Amino acid sequence: MELNISNNAGDVPFAHILQELLAGTIEKSESRQAIYKKMKGAIAIALPDIEAAVTLVFQQGRMTIEAGITKNPALIITTSSDLVTDLNMLTICWGLPYYFNEAGRRVLGHIVSGRLKIQGLLYHPVLLTRLTILMSVM
Amino acid sequence: MSSYKGLTQEWLDAWKQKIAESKEYKEIAKDWEGSVSIIVNAAPDKNLPETAYLFTDYWHGDVRDFVLCDEARALSARFIMSGEYVRWKQVATKELDATKALMQGKLKLKGDLTYVVRNVKTINKVIDLLTEVNTIWPDEA
Repeated sequence: MELNISNNAGDVPFAHILQELLAGTIEKSESRQAIYKKMKGAIAIALPDIEAAVTLVFQQGRMTIEAGITKNPALIITTSSDLVTDLNMLTICWGLPYYFNEAGRRVLGHIVSGRLKIQGLLYHPVLLTRLTILMSVM
Repeated sequence: MSSYKGLTQEWLDAWKQKIAESKEYKEIAKDWEGSVSIIVNAAPDKNLPETAYLFTDYWHGDVRDFVLCDEARALSARFIMSGEYVRWKQVATKELDATKALMQGKLKLKGDLTYVVRNVKTINKVIDLLTEVNTIWPDEA
């Protein structure tokens, strides 16, 4: 499947990592490809500790990575560079992220402690769930 | 406690021994398969006149080859990590988190990133064990 990913954030090394990770997970799974084709909306990920932020703009089978927080994102995920990979460790069970194992509890712990903030969580749970599925390397 | 000159075969042997002796590593790394090369770019001003190529190989909790090598062998590894000497030294002395270094572009990785992220505990443990090797770095010699 052609993923049609454009990276307009060439100066942000984190953008290359995200691009490679997402391309890797989507390519390996037909169910993730189906989700990718449905996804529409912008999601920003900010890592203030390394002064990096990117916005992923999903357009149903096409994704553009922009530098900074832009395009009025539906979700803004803010965390630190050493915790962001914990999102990749979430297991997917029956098509949904699973929060009741070690990896899931760790992510919930980050949310509760404020080390992981997700703006728009209550208004865009489906988009967040889909992103979590795409990001999971498990 | 013995000290080893950094980026030498003796230093690699000491690091390999630390890993081989670690029960925790054996458990964490039981799913890891494959070699990782480390490329330390030359830094003549830091007493590293030529690029150093290190080849390290891991297999389901065991440690195999840990050798200084040439560029061709380094490039044959399943994963290739490269960066400036000062960055590697910062990682090896716990001044810089390896994940953070990758995200900042201070270190570069070639290879299946999804596999590396899935096994990030293994990478972190290997680096933790490196920090336990008493090292005399080239710019300190």
